[in-house]
Amino acid sequence: MSLNRLVTLSRRVTWGSLIPLFGPNGKVVSNVQFRRLFRTQTPSLAFAKDLFLGKVNKAEVFPYPEISREELEEINQFVAPVEKFFSEDVDSQRIDREATIPPETLEGIKQLGLFGIQVPEEYGGLGLSNTMYARLGETTSLDGSIAVTLAAHQAIGLKGILIAGNEQQKAKYLPKLASGEHVAAFCLTEPGSGSDAASIQTRATLTEDGKHYLISGSKIWISNGGLADIFTVFARTAVVDKDGQKKDKITAFIVERAFGGVTSGKPEDKLGIRGSNTCEVLFENTKVPVENVIGEVGGGFKAAMNILNSGRFSMGSATAGMIKKLIELTAEYAATRKQFNRSISEFGMIQEKFALMAMNAFVMESMAYLTAGMMDKPGIPDCSVEAAMVKVFSSEGGWICVSEALQVLGGVGYMKSYPFERYLRDCRILLIFEGTNEILRMYIALTGMQHAGKILTGKIKEMKKGNIGVALQMFGKKLRDSISTKVDLGLTGKDGVVHPSLTESTKKLEENVHFFGNTVEGLLYRYGKTIVDEQMALKKVADVLINLYAMTAVLSRASRSISIGLRNHDHEVLLANTFCSDAYYKNNFLMTQLQKNAPENNDDSIKKIAKDVLAKRAYICSHPLDRTF
Amino acid sequence: MNSTRRCFVRFMMSTKALVPGASWPCSNLGPAAQILRTFRVSGTVAKKKSRPVRTGYDEKPERERSLVADDDDDDDPFERAAREAGTKAAFDGLLDVFVRRDVRRRGHVEFIYAALRKMPDFGVEHDIAVYNKLLDVFPKEVFVPRNFIQRMFNHYPRQQECAIQVLEQMENYGLMPNVETKVLLVQIFGEKSHPMRKYQRMMYWFPKFKHANPYPVPLQLPRDPVDLARFSLNRIAHDLDARVAVYQFPSTEVSETGEKVSRPHVVGIQSPEQRRLLAEHNPSRPVFVEGPFPLWLRKTCVHYYVLRADPLPPEEKVEESIDPERSFFYPLELDLDLDRDFGDLDSFDVDEVEEGPVFAMCMAGQADQATLAKWISGLQETNPILGRTPILFRLESGPRELQQATESEPEPSAEEEPLHSQGMKQ
Repeated sequence: MSLNRLVTLSRRVTWGSLIPLFGPNGKVVSNVQFRRLFRTQTPSLAFAKDLFLGKVNKAEVFPYPEISREELEEINQFVAPVEKFFSEDVDSQRIDREATIPPETLEGIKQLGLFGIQVPEEYGGLGLSNTMYARLGETTSLDGSIAVTLAAHQAIGLKGILIAGNEQQKAKYLPKLASGEHVAAFCLTEPGSGSDAASIQTRATLTEDGKHYLISGSKIWISNGGLADIFTVFARTAVVDKDGQKKDKITAFIVERAFGGVTSGKPEDKLGIRGSNTCEVLFENTKVPVENVIGEVGGGFKAAMNILNSGRFSMGSATAGMIKKLIELTAEYAATRKQFNRSISEFGMIQEKFALMAMNAFVMESMAYLTAGMMDKPGIPDCSVEAAMVKVFSSEGGWICVSEALQVLGGVGYMKSYPFERYLRDCRILLIFEGTNEILRMYIALTGMQHAGKILTGKIKEMKKGNIGVALQMFGKKLRDSISTKVDLGLTGKDGVVHPSLTESTKKLEENVHFFGNTVEGLLYRYGKTIVDEQMALKKVADVLINLYAMTAVLSRASRSISIGLRNHDHEVLLANTFCSDAYYKNNFLMTQLQKNAPENNDDSIKKIAKDVLAKRAYICSHPLDRTF
Repeated sequence: MNSTRRCFVRFMMSTKALVPGASWPCSNLGPAAQILRTFRVSGTVAKKKSRPVRTGYDEKPERERSLVADDDDDDDPFERAAREAGTKAAFDGLLDVFVRRDVRRRGHVEFIYAALRKMPDFGVEHDIAVYNKLLDVFPKEVFVPRNFIQRMFNHYPRQQECAIQVLEQMENYGLMPNVETKVLLVQIFGEKSHPMRKYQRMMYWFPKFKHANPYPVPLQLPRDPVDLARFSLNRIAHDLDARVAVYQFPSTEVSETGEKVSRPHVVGIQSPEQRRLLAEHNPSRPVFVEGPFPLWLRKTCVHYYVLRADPLPPEEKVEESIDPERSFFYPLELDLDLDRDFGDLDSFDVDEVEEGPVFAMCMAGQADQATLAKWISGLQETNPILGRTPILFRLESGPRELQQATESEPEPSAEEEPLHSQGMKQ
C-alpha cells in the first residue's frame, strides 16, 4: 500500500509538471505533498489477494498486458546491442574464474546504459517501464555475475533514492548512478540480522549541531560492497514517539564513500555469481548530513520493505532468459549425442526433461510479464505478492531446470571446461537472496490471509456463535459443492475472456480457485490469527496460490497469443494446457492436505521428526550395522 | 567384608565343607541381597537333599570352626592371595580348583550358590566371563533329558533351578548372557530346559531395554572430580549450548606457615539462555545460591548448587508485544479478531507452577561459602550484573557433613568404590 504511495509520489515528482510547485524550499513542500498522498486512497488492485476469497479479478489479468508498437520497437533497439555485447564481449568463464568483472566489460555495460534502466530520463537514465526492465533482464541474466551486480545496483541499491528520495537527493545522486560513474549498494544485512529489524546494531547518532549523523556499525554480504560509491544504509536512530517516549527506529541514509569512515572488507569467495563483488562494509563514525536521510527519520523500515518488495519481479524473466539459452545449448547436445545408434533426444526420459524446461520457461515468462504489466498499469497497484510469487516460482523452477539440463548433458555438465556447471552454481543463489523462498512464502500466504481474514471475520464469528442462518447457508453451500462440481467464475462462456481452446484448463483453474477460497475459510475458522504459527500449512497455501497465479498467467498469455495469431501459438496452448492440468492435480492434493484431519497430511509427524533431530542436533538413528547383543 | 571373603576362601579349600555357604554371615549388597533370599531357600533344600550324600561330616562344628577361624586366621596363603592378587584371578582360581578336584563335581550346586553370593565381594559380579565359568562348573550332558518322559517332567530340578539362579543374578546386575552362555546351557541342560527358556527370555527382553534410558550413565564414571563434575553438570543442564567452566582446579599448596592448604575444585555450567535471563534480572532483587542438591549417578551421589532467583511478582511482569516494524519480509502477527478454534487446540491442559529462573549451576569440592564465592566471582566475569546484585547463600548442612565424612576416609580403591558409595546411600 505504502509502496503505491511512495511510487506515486516519486512519479508525480518526476513528471515534471509538479516540479515548479516545489519552489526554492522544495523539501517542505514535498513533505506536505507526502502527507496529503498518505491520506489518498490509490486504487488498489489485488488479484492475488482476491484469490484467497475464491474470486478471480479477471479485469486485472485478462487480457494479457501488451506494450505499444513504438515501445516494442524501442525495446528491441535497446536489446539488440545488449545481446550482441553479452554474446561477444562478455567472457563469463573468465569472470567466474577470476571472480571479478573486468573493467572493460563494466565500461561496456555502462555505455549501454544498463546502470540506469529505470532511472527517469531527466536524470540521465533510460527511464524504462517495468516491462521493458524485465525484457532487458532476460538478456543480462546470461551472465549471473553481471546480472547480480546490476540488480544490486538498481533493483535495490538506488531504489531507495528512486522511490523515496526527495528532489534534491535525486538530482544529486541519480545522474551519476544512472551513468554508472557511481555504483550503488544496499546495506541492510548485519552479522546478527537477516530479516529481523530488531537486531540491527548499526547506529546513527545526531551530532550536537543537529546537521549530521554519525553512523557506526558493520554490514555483511553487501553486493557491490567493494565497488560502490553510494550506499543505502539502514541504521538505528533515536526517535521521539508520539507519546513523547524515546524509541529506537530504523532510518535509511544515503552514504557516500567519500564521507569517510567507510571501509570494505575482502571480497567473499562464493559458490556462484563469483564475479559479483560481495563483501563486508564497515562504517566508523561516518559523517552523513541530515539531508541524506531517505524519507523521514524513523521511516527506514517501510522504505526497506518497499525497496525489497519492488526489486523482485524481474527475476522471473531473468531466469526464463537463462533457461531459454540453456535449452538451446542442451538440445544441440541431445540431438548430436548418439547412443546405441540413436540420438539421445529420441529417449523418452530425455524428452521429458526438455518438455519440463520449456514448460517452466513458458510459465516463468508468462508470470513475469503479467506482473510487470500489472505494475506498469496506471494507479500503481501493489503487486508485491505477485512479485514474490514470481520470485519463488522462477528461482525454484530455474534450479530444477538447470539440474535437469545437467542431467541431459551427463558428464559434460559436470566439467568445469563447459559452462553448464557455472549455471548451476550461479542459479542457486536465486532461492536465497532478496528474501529466501521460505520467508517469501510466509509473506505470500500471510498477506492473503490477512486480506481474507478481514473480510471473513464477521461471518466466521457468526458461525462460531451458532447462528443458524449462517450455518445453514454454509451447509447449503457445501451441499451444492458436493452435488455439482461445476464452478463458473465467468472466465469462459458468453462473457469469457479465455480462448475456447483453453476452456478445459480454465475450468480447472476456476474449480481450484473456488476450492482454495473454501480452504482458506476453513483455515481461518480453525486457526484464526494463530495461523501465523502454522508454517507448514502456510507453505501449502502459498504453493497453491503460486500455482493459481501461474495458471492464470499462462491462460491469459496463451489466449492472447492464439487470438492475435502469434507464431507457434498452438505450442503455447499445448504448454498452457499441460501445465494447468499438472498444477490442477498438485493443487487438489495440497488443498486436500489442508483439510482438517486429512490422512494425506503428515505435518505432525514431520514436526516430530524434526524435533527429535534438533533436540540432539544430529541424526539419531542407530547405525544399521549396530547390534545390542 | 574381608571376613566373608576369607570364609569363602577357606570353604573353597576345605575338602570337607560343602554346605556351610548357606549359613555364612553375609554382607548384603544391592541386588545381591534380593538373590540371597532365594538362595537361602534353595540352600536349605539342597541341604536336606544332599544330606544323605554327605557322610561323616557334621555341619555345626564345621561352621563354628570357620567362624572361629575367621577371627584370627589371617595368614592363610589363599586368603592373602585373594586379597592381594587381582580378585578376579582369585575367583577364577577357586573355580578351577573346584573343577579339578573331583571329576564328578560333587556338591556343585551348593558350590555355585555360594559362589554366586560371594561374587560381589570379589568384584566380579559384572563379569560375563565369570558367570560363564561358573556355569561351566555344571557337569555336561548328564542333565540333558533323553526321553519324552524326562522332557515332560522337571528333569534334575535342583540343578536347573541353580542355573536359573545364575541367570537371575546376571539379570539383576543388568548383564546380558552371550553365545557362550547359550552353548553351555545347551550342553548342560539341553535345548528346551528351563534355564534355556530363561536364557531365551532374557535375550528377548534385554536388547529391547538396553537403550530404554535416554540419558545413560556410563558404567565407569570418571575418576577425576573435575571430570565427574563436568559430566554431572552437563547431565543436569541438558542444554547443548551450555558451557562448563572450571573456576578452580583442585590443588594442594603448602603455605608459609607450613600448613597444607588444599583448594577444592569449583566447576560451573551456564548456557547463553541463562546468561540472558540473568542479564535481564532486576538487580535490586536478590539472587540465591542454594544447595547442596543430590544427584545420583548409578551408585555414586554427587551434590550441586544452583544460582537462582524468585519468580517475578505479577506486577513486574512485562507483556511482550511484537513490534510491527520488526520483520522486513512478512508480518509476524495478523491483525485479526479470530482465535484458534476449540477443535484445533491440540495442547493439553497443563497446570503450570511457575518457578524462578535458574541462572547457573556448579559443583564444588567443598560446601562452604568461601568456595562457592569463588564460583560467583568467576561467574561475574561473564555476567557483570552479579556485581550489582545482592547474593544470598542458602546452604543446607546435611549432605555437607556426609561429604566431609567421606572425604576423611582414605581414597577408596578401584574395586571398592561402588560399595563405598553404597554405604553412603544407606
